[in-house]
Amino acid sequence: MVAAHYFDGRTSAAQQVALTLDGGRLVMRGEIASREWPLRQVKVSERLGDTPRRLELPDGGHCEVTDHAALDALLTQGGYRRNWLDRMQHSLRWALLSAVLVVAVFAAAYRYLLPWCAEVIAQRIPPALLQQMGASSLQTLDRLLLQPSRLPAGRQQALRTAYAKMAALPGAQLDYRIVFRSAPKIGPNAFALPDGNIVMLDELVALTQDDDEILAVLAHERGHVEQRHALRMVLQSSAVGLAMTWYMGDVSSLLATVPAMVMQASYSRDMEREADDYAVRMLRLNGLSPCLLGSVLDKLEAARPQAQQREAANGGRVMDYLASHPATAERSAALCAR
Amino acid sequence: MQTQQDHAFEFGGEGWEYFRIWIVNLLLTIMTLGIYSAWAKVRRLQYFYRNTKLAGASFEYHGTPIAILKGRLIAFALFVFYTVAGKLNPLLGILIAFLIAAVMPWLIVRSLRFKLYNSSYRGLRFGFAGSDGAAYAVFLLLPILTVLTLFLLAPFTHFKIKQYQHNNSRFGDTFFRFDATAGNFYGIYLRAFGWLLLAGILFSVAVAGMPLLGLLLPLIYLYAAAYFAVRLPNLVWSSTGLGEHDLYSRMQISGYLKILLTNLLGIVFTLGLFIPFAQVRMARYKLSCMGLLAQGDLGAFVAGQVQADSATGEETAEMFDVDISL
Repeated sequence: MVAAHYFDGRTSAAQQVALTLDGGRLVMRGEIASREWPLRQVKVSERLGDTPRRLELPDGGHCEVTDHAALDALLTQGGYRRNWLDRMQHSLRWALLSAVLVVAVFAAAYRYLLPWCAEVIAQRIPPALLQQMGASSLQTLDRLLLQPSRLPAGRQQALRTAYAKMAALPGAQLDYRIVFRSAPKIGPNAFALPDGNIVMLDELVALTQDDDEILAVLAHERGHVEQRHALRMVLQSSAVGLAMTWYMGDVSSLLATVPAMVMQASYSRDMEREADDYAVRMLRLNGLSPCLLGSVLDKLEAARPQAQQREAANGGRVMDYLASHPATAERSAALCAR
Repeated sequence: MQTQQDHAFEFGGEGWEYFRIWIVNLLLTIMTLGIYSAWAKVRRLQYFYRNTKLAGASFEYHGTPIAILKGRLIAFALFVFYTVAGKLNPLLGILIAFLIAAVMPWLIVRSLRFKLYNSSYRGLRFGFAGSDGAAYAVFLLLPILTVLTLFLLAPFTHFKIKQYQHNNSRFGDTFFRFDATAGNFYGIYLRAFGWLLLAGILFSVAVAGMPLLGLLLPLIYLYAAAYFAVRLPNLVWSSTGLGEHDLYSRMQISGYLKILLTNLLGIVFTLGLFIPFAQVRMARYKLSCMGLLAQGDLGAFVAGQVQADSATGEETAEMFDVDISL
């Protein structure tokens, strides 16, 4: 016998009833009325934790049952079987297995699916759109960070000519040009825009002095553009941000951006290596030594403020994984060893 | 003269129990590329509804996954349409944004009807009878006026929205009533604003040379947010009645903050695996502070006319982030 509350669906009044099984028929006995139906016509709600279970009756009413053991016994006797989902939802083993699988799926999607999708999409973005993106990002950078270059026109022209003379690797798709700018706040640096324009800062030209080294930097930046690194980063981080927001749901979109930022850094590490590889191949093609890129890197490292260097040294291996660029010493040694 | 009885809401959910349901459903959602999420949503709501007990009976959610899935597909299509159109032509994007704003009140009414019709207690369904015309006034006209008056009208708009929602909701054929005033809403908004003002003053003092004071800033912001998240539902529910019965909510800011902070820490340090525990803890706290002051028997309600509605409205409203929590 199963104790239950019966509600007739027309009023909110509750009635104490007792449920029993009589040869495939569910019998309900209570103070007011006693009824019976074939058990097959009764819709039994799935088990959901320890929540009360509902038996939807053919008369439009329903019974609420909290005595799970008694109801399970009655249902088993009536030929009811728990389905696979019901079992999964209530087994600790399945919960742990699911947790492991969820983490594995997320990790695999992040490690393999996401970069692959980003690459496929990035390579298919039409050049017209790249031009637009490049122009608008240069505009923004000019407004916020960059100043006009103070490099003499002759020196600029010499570098442009040297760069234009460099033989390109097969498959080059864009028109590569140098854009000279100055940014004392950023310090020696160069960066690639999606349309093939490479922003070369006066500070970097002043730091190296050697034109071949500048060509090595340009080749490295060209590698970033050819492999659509900036685009892939944007696509990947926005996808990660979107997934995080969905997963965290109502928590906070602020929380969602933190992991996205941490993940981004490790991506650009791989990308730096790819760009290094590209630069090495391009330098070799032009009869230049891959060591050139290594020596610029060493100079850049030496030019970094003392405080940053100390931090990097103290951080040791941990810093190595967090930093966006692979450890410079390691990288430049690898370049020279080729 | 009937005696008044205080029925407290009880929440019977358990963190580990819900974790098992949540994680299995999350896995299935991922495996089916999101399609299963409609089934997962029904399970989630059923778990929370059935665990909510009042006067010995529990609530039930009746929404069907297929209706929710259909709604999600339509919402997703609208979203993609809007995004793509905006990228192709900004003008077209603006036009579509206007169109969406124009249908949003209509969708919100559908979503409220779907949500309430699919909720039941003691075998009787809830329902929503708000008219489309009134919905356009509170969900479109008033928000526009609010922006035009530099948000001076915000508390009034909020009041009107809650009034529209609660006065038009019914249980069986008995309507809810809502007797808060716009003045009550202004009071809460002004006090929350006062905390933010204090934060602003502290900020300028901190900038002017007392940087240590700056550490207090996040705490004050958090307190202002918690103040709002506690006092507003307290006001809304304590001003709501059903027939001759009265509802109340008596959350405390300190209790709410404690749960909010520990939940956030738990979620961050477990990469989200704490989410089901956090949801259960918050639901338990909120419901433990709520109750119904009943005048006599709760068995005297009678069923109302039956009406069904699709889930599209609710899903579209959710997708476009217009969360209108009741």
